[in-house]
Amino acid sequence: MTVKAHIKRHDTDILILGTGGAGLFGALHALQSAPMHTKVTIAVKGLIGKCGCTRMVQGGYNVALGNGDTVERHFMDTINGGKWLPNQDMAWRLCTEAVTRIHELENEIGCYFDRNPDGTVHQKAFAGQTADRTVHKGDLTGIEIISRLMEQVLARPVEKLQEHRAIGLIPTVDGSALSGVLFIDMRSGEFHFVRAKAVLMATGGGPTMYKYHTPSGDKTMDGLAMAMRLGLPVRDMEMVQFHPTGLLAGDHTRMTGTVLEEGLRGAGGHLVNHQGNRFMFDYSDRGERATRDVVSRGIYAEMRKNNDPSQVGMFISMSHLGPDNVRKKFAGMVKRCEDSGFDLAAGQVEVVPTAHYFMGGVVVDAETRTSLEGLYVAGEDAGGAHGSNRLGGNGVANSTVFGGIAGDNMGLDIRKMRALRDPDETVLQAELDRALYPLSKPTGNLHQLRQNLQEAMWDDVGVMRTRAGLERGLQRIADIKAELLETGVNGDNLGFNMTWHDWMNLSSLLDVSDVICRAALSRENSRGAHYREDFPEPGSLENSYFTVARQDGDTVDVKHENVEFTIVRPGETILPEGEPETLVGEHA
Amino acid sequence: MPREFVISGLRLFWSTAIMNEGFSEAPQRLVEDKKDTILSMTNETTKMSVKVWRGDKSSGSYQTFEVPRQENQTVLDVVTWIQQTQDPNLSYRFACRVGMCGSCAMMVNGAPRWTCRTHVNKVLDGDTLEVAPLRNLPVIKDLVADMDPFFDKWVDAGGHHAPSASRYDDMPKISSDEPERAEANKSIECINCAVCYAACDTVAQNPDYLGPAALQRAWTLLNDKKVDDHDAVLEKVSGKGGCHNCHSQGSCTLYCPNGLDPMRAIAGLKSATIKRALKRGG
Repeated sequence: MTVKAHIKRHDTDILILGTGGAGLFGALHALQSAPMHTKVTIAVKGLIGKCGCTRMVQGGYNVALGNGDTVERHFMDTINGGKWLPNQDMAWRLCTEAVTRIHELENEIGCYFDRNPDGTVHQKAFAGQTADRTVHKGDLTGIEIISRLMEQVLARPVEKLQEHRAIGLIPTVDGSALSGVLFIDMRSGEFHFVRAKAVLMATGGGPTMYKYHTPSGDKTMDGLAMAMRLGLPVRDMEMVQFHPTGLLAGDHTRMTGTVLEEGLRGAGGHLVNHQGNRFMFDYSDRGERATRDVVSRGIYAEMRKNNDPSQVGMFISMSHLGPDNVRKKFAGMVKRCEDSGFDLAAGQVEVVPTAHYFMGGVVVDAETRTSLEGLYVAGEDAGGAHGSNRLGGNGVANSTVFGGIAGDNMGLDIRKMRALRDPDETVLQAELDRALYPLSKPTGNLHQLRQNLQEAMWDDVGVMRTRAGLERGLQRIADIKAELLETGVNGDNLGFNMTWHDWMNLSSLLDVSDVICRAALSRENSRGAHYREDFPEPGSLENSYFTVARQDGDTVDVKHENVEFTIVRPGETILPEGEPETLVGEHA
Repeated sequence: MPREFVISGLRLFWSTAIMNEGFSEAPQRLVEDKKDTILSMTNETTKMSVKVWRGDKSSGSYQTFEVPRQENQTVLDVVTWIQQTQDPNLSYRFACRVGMCGSCAMMVNGAPRWTCRTHVNKVLDGDTLEVAPLRNLPVIKDLVADMDPFFDKWVDAGGHHAPSASRYDDMPKISSDEPERAEANKSIECINCAVCYAACDTVAQNPDYLGPAALQRAWTLLNDKKVDDHDAVLEKVSGKGGCHNCHSQGSCTLYCPNGLDPMRAIAGLKSATIKRALKRGG
């Protein structure tokens, strides 16, 4: 290694990685709970509030606000939806705290959610819910939440490190606590080490290692990759949620994989194959209105029947509902398709299942604390709240609830932490070398390697899995990893060098893909988002386990831990006797 | 001469008709959207000539790339293709890919646009395309603009809710049909992409001017019943860089990719601030 780099160093009290719902709430709550004059720093890979996925939430925010709905009912739906794998204490915390958080969003942050004619908040039911529970702002709920949160944080005395990419969590020499975080200031290409008493990791998941994916393009699971390098346990890593209808527009466009909203199927949209025939009733008696996982598998199975390589996806067809009606009801979606060259209202749009959300994440408790002192994890980086499947509307509830909890706890905990901790300089140097590594290798076709990984994950670790496929996937990932280590980047100008970051993006994705694959191999049953064709049964609910993976150097160990039914056991409910199973009428 | 390229980029704005304040209908776009051609384009393998601005805050110039055309191709895809296959050092910014985050706006053939939602067929001029960083903002590198001044002004315009109720209070009963709320809702879906800011000639001439997006946010606060102190909202936008700088040229409304009407919102602020001043005077 010939490249020498200087590291700028500075200190803060509370450091937050990420500016989605979790990071921004973490910052606001830390300012509220911490002692006066506490320094809070927020760092993000893109621009504050603009990168990441909270902004892209269409559906809304699940919260029980009465009218027959209760926290208990929300909790039972979350447990059932997660197929009994959620950490029940986290799920309970999610459902109870969501009530406070939605009031905070309205009253303190300044959001305005859609109302009923009498002025009360409007709520609707998503698939898997037994009550009208989802608070929303049209179908652009995420924009309302993130814009209001962003402006609150911009207006406060928070140190802002934009376009600062975290590349390493740096522990103390004895490994018992976190010292700080190593960054690259992406604009200048300089390294920057920030010590902090408490760090919230809220970088978001985002399974962009799949050929088709919905999350924003900046997301590459850097947080989980960093946590794994530190040897922190991660759970439910096999659980990747696919959204059934991603846009298919070709390999050359970034539009491919982006979501065509759930509501299209709910409103009566048809899914048809290349012969123009509907097929979903071959897979479910709910047809197109089945849950995300079922429809994704239906489309995937239908795609496999197709032998013509020029015909890849299936089609969503809305025109039988009347093109004008569709244009009116789904104005945003029709416009987005039109901008990209597709006619959703009167024509057909080719779709494909697309990787959407990552249920897996760092093992945390319901207070967002990890096994490492000083490190807190919230949002999509944390595992446990959703188990094997996330209900629509529970994602933004999760990030905002636990981001706030992390902020509260960090503000309180730092009162007991008198001094900043010194970093293990060896780890710091190793992370620096890791980032500089590609600059010393001959350049190559990085983009092709990313595509190779995305193909491998889609083919072998995707919607439907088998042992043979997963083993092949593992090998393909290892081969691409080896190729990446021989592929370099031109480092003449490190300022805003996107190709350098592409290299690090791919490196993060490869590390996480490997663990997804190993966890998927170890779970020999089918639960929620994880489907094994060779083990199609869900296994005993009573003996439910979750996977916990831990990286140690180059090896990864996957273990099973029994789910602790701390609140409710399979076959039981915490709803009062005589409560109806659902409060939602079957929608026409 | 760091922003020389912008001057040529301006040609589309100079001719913008001066509009009266009462003008509420969105004027005809100067850059015509060629919608029919988007849907009917055949998949011929042709090339286009793409001029890309390269440089940093001190200097720069255009560099030309030959880029193959594709049936489904946005301006963001064009820029991506250049970075991935021709010049790994090209810098640009994007995130969501679907017109929700407002990170990827650039000047495309002289007009500010979201590049992720701009189909090449819509903007191609013959077989040429010209891409540059957003106008009215400092350049970081190549196509990446520094958006900090835009957000600083958002803050300066008082662009955030000042709470009078807490998380332990009930949510206020405010029907979506109430006139003030309906008015606020018309402007609330702004994604702060800074397209309007780049389109605004007043911003170009007066660096203190808060600009359309920040003022539009103030207008939504003024119409928000949850905001107690409307006087404070108006105070923020009445000063030196405030709403009265606006000449109602309407580029903000013309170019807003979300179909919002900041010019109308600013007109509302002007009228409200005048009323307030008269009340005070009397």
